[in-house]
Amino acid sequence: MFPLLTAIVFLPLAAAAVIALLPAARPAAARRIALAASATDLALAAWMLASSRPPAGAAYADSFRFVEDVAWVPQAGIRYHLGVDGISAPLIFLSALLTLLVVLVSWRTEPKPKTWFAMLMLLAVGMNGVFAALDLVLFYVFWELVLVPMYFIIAVWGGPRRQYAAVKFFLYTLAGSVLMLVGILALYLHPVGGTFDMVALAGSTLPRGFQGWVFAALFLGFAVKVPVFPLHTWLPDAHVEAPTAGSVLLAGVLLKMGAYGFIRVSLPILPDASAAWSPAIAALAAVSIVYGAAVAFAQTDMKKLVAYSSVSHMGFVMLGIAAGTVAGLDGAVAMMFSHGVVTGMLFLLVGMVYDRTRTGVLTEVGGLSRSAPVAGGMLAFASFASLGLPGLSGFVGEFLTLVGAWQSPLWRGFVVAAAAGVVLAAAYMLLLVQRAVLGPPTDKVSGIADLSSAEVGLLAPLVALTVLVGVHWSSLLRFVDPAVRALLAAEGAGG
Amino acid sequence: MTGYAALIPEALVLAAALAALFAGLLPGGARTAAGGGAAAAALSAVLAANTGGAGSLLSGTLALDGAAAFVRAAIAALTAAYLMWLAGRGVAGERAGEAAALALLSAGGGMLLASATDLVTFFVAVELATMPAYVLVGYRRDDARGLEGALKYFLLSLLTSLVMLYGLSFLYGVSGSTRYAGLDGGVSGTLGLAGALLVAVGLLAKISAVPFHFWAPDGYAGAPAETVAFVSTVPKVAAMAAAVRLLGLLAPQVPNLPLTLALAAAASMVLGNLAAFPQRDIRRLMAYSGIGHAGYLLMGIVAGTERGAPATLFYAAVFAVPSMAVVLIAAEEGTDVRDLAGLAERRPAAAWAMTAFLLSLIGIPPLAGFVGKLQLFGAALDGAWVWLVVLAVSASAVSAGYYFRLIAPMFLAPAEERPAARAPAPSAPAALALAAMLAVTLAAGVLASPLLRLLGAA
Repeated sequence: MFPLLTAIVFLPLAAAAVIALLPAARPAAARRIALAASATDLALAAWMLASSRPPAGAAYADSFRFVEDVAWVPQAGIRYHLGVDGISAPLIFLSALLTLLVVLVSWRTEPKPKTWFAMLMLLAVGMNGVFAALDLVLFYVFWELVLVPMYFIIAVWGGPRRQYAAVKFFLYTLAGSVLMLVGILALYLHPVGGTFDMVALAGSTLPRGFQGWVFAALFLGFAVKVPVFPLHTWLPDAHVEAPTAGSVLLAGVLLKMGAYGFIRVSLPILPDASAAWSPAIAALAAVSIVYGAAVAFAQTDMKKLVAYSSVSHMGFVMLGIAAGTVAGLDGAVAMMFSHGVVTGMLFLLVGMVYDRTRTGVLTEVGGLSRSAPVAGGMLAFASFASLGLPGLSGFVGEFLTLVGAWQSPLWRGFVVAAAAGVVLAAAYMLLLVQRAVLGPPTDKVSGIADLSSAEVGLLAPLVALTVLVGVHWSSLLRFVDPAVRALLAAEGAGG
Repeated sequence: MTGYAALIPEALVLAAALAALFAGLLPGGARTAAGGGAAAAALSAVLAANTGGAGSLLSGTLALDGAAAFVRAAIAALTAAYLMWLAGRGVAGERAGEAAALALLSAGGGMLLASATDLVTFFVAVELATMPAYVLVGYRRDDARGLEGALKYFLLSLLTSLVMLYGLSFLYGVSGSTRYAGLDGGVSGTLGLAGALLVAVGLLAKISAVPFHFWAPDGYAGAPAETVAFVSTVPKVAAMAAAVRLLGLLAPQVPNLPLTLALAAAASMVLGNLAAFPQRDIRRLMAYSGIGHAGYLLMGIVAGTERGAPATLFYAAVFAVPSMAVVLIAAEEGTDVRDLAGLAERRPAAAWAMTAFLLSLIGIPPLAGFVGKLQLFGAALDGAWVWLVVLAVSASAVSAGYYFRLIAPMFLAPAEERPAARAPAPSAPAALALAAMLAVTLAAGVLASPLLRLLGAA
């Protein structure tokens, strides 16, 4: 059988290697190779997504498609084990789509275009790999692989405080994830665990006390990445300093890795600890939702506003995961996908506006609807999608997570707080629309060029996905829901 | 291969050392000596890798098992890479022939040390492995700092060697045998404890673990950087292999020895990784980083599990490769952190290679250092040393901070900040040596399986 997942994961690596070997004087070739690789990757990912729908009622182990499983380091029990189900396949598709878009949007990157595209490709390897890996060590390898290119993307092509932000990003996430490694090792060394296989470990009957310790170790790695309050402080710095493409991938894909870790590793492998910890996680999620929204409200920088809104939105994902119900997890995955699309769109738009006005400060950007009506309209659309307007994709996730949390045994005060977060989101997003889009154009905005047709074409797939998922929920949920049910069944089998 | 034929790798290295002493008579002089030494060491590495399971030799004074094969091959290969670099660049522009001879002698001692299973053989091999290193550290006779460093290194190393010798005599006293086989189960009582602790002192000093680490930063800071690249790696790998054998044998028999070593490991990780932060001299920074890595390495012995020994030896080898390479690049570019500024502009390949080496030292997958740390931490967890593992992972996260102080200027600082271009023109053998080390650093993580098989790890 054609190793489809290996192709999706490692095609960008091949592209990165070829780009690295090119002479420095040929940036055009580097661009074309990155474009060809990411376009092919997207095509493969789309095909993979279309055929990844598990049959209803399949057991967890049977719900994976395109499985590849060979020994890697047999002495240490490490396997090269890949596979996707309806939870991971949409995320790989999202990662491939955003990678292609950032290759296009950063077409004219200077300086060092060659290194830039090599780094983007390397980042794609890690992102795709995390969602495809079914061996814990392999998962960790891809997880850490992401850090290196993102460090360079922020440190070399970022804003004025890029070096500080890049090192902070690297150290925070590294510190979180090394403890995660200890948790992974503990699972392997425990007599009941005894393997790194994420599928075989699912529904395990590990002792409760041991589960609690491993959960705590993994929690740090995942929660920093999500990021959950109070471990989020690296995120605004990283977002503000990162170039547009970096912000898009950071918010669009990297944050999902943390939530995905909770869903794929913590829930099925440590069911008792997950249940025991769920009130605490729900509480942190509720705090993240309200805190992120409140701080976003106070921002004057557009990038920071979107960054804090991400803290808030990822709080909904965590609430759905803490709920642990079918609706909650469906909503969490839908929210992850939708947030990737919508926040990607927001960062792309903010970047496009910044390219024209050289400012991201809200008081200096205003009246886009008059001088650049297409840009203004798109920004308004993305803001509405972000605040969870029914009919657009953000609503699906928020609605389902709130329903799921209400159905779960969690304290309902968390749900009420989260719902208040929805109102706050409406407030700060409308503030963004009011300041940036409506009103008279400011000095910096008047006379700027509107979006070109190429830029509109770039945003078009994101707009289409936002509407498609928002109107026709099952276009996404028909992949997610069977996988979530299989995962919860596996969890129940062990508990 | 039976009997003495199994010692051909050592013989090759020592013969090359003798030949290098007469470098003046060879066409091409010192460069030829280094190049020939590199070829001999490389051949020796290939042969040594194939001697696993040759059994014991010389009535039980040497054991040529899988672990010995791996360490002998690793030492010979590291020496080959070092000499190849030397053939391209020389040592501080002078007398590369003697340096090659000394390095080869030290490597020969290290290879013997890796398979020593007799107290006398052990001591002789330790001295053969480290004596040439003292000379190498003081290689520039006209440099007062170099001589001071060499003297510090020599005196501390000699003192700890003698302390160790005293301990060895205790061990002989309680067990009545100089063979390791006789020590197994034969060490007991106060005298046995004292012997084990005194031997541990010597070995801790050889691997520059806390509290016997003081010589390393000062010793390295005065030495030519290319010397530091060798001295801070090859003798350490050899000493670590000896420690795995001897301390691994003593630890289960001597109460509190594992805890003592665990405390030394913990102190090394904390002190090494924290003290590396303020360093501006790459040699000093790498000295402290080496102290930290000595702490990780000790974990494998502390663990006292089956996984421990192979994990330690594997990590000793995969830590040595990037450490040597980083210092060699510093030898080319200048030893101040600021000398690296703009390296990505000047020599992109060197800058990216340096980045890979440093990331491997941090333990970022899928590089060699990651698999090594995975094995070590797994071994220690297996032995229920949870606090030590948590400390070690915290220390490796912290270490990323100072390694990034080397990465950042290469890419972020403009090249103009660098004072004067003092590096000689790029040289093909040196570049080839670095490329080989890069290949190992990249591949040993992905292809760890055959290496672990060589180690005989189940």
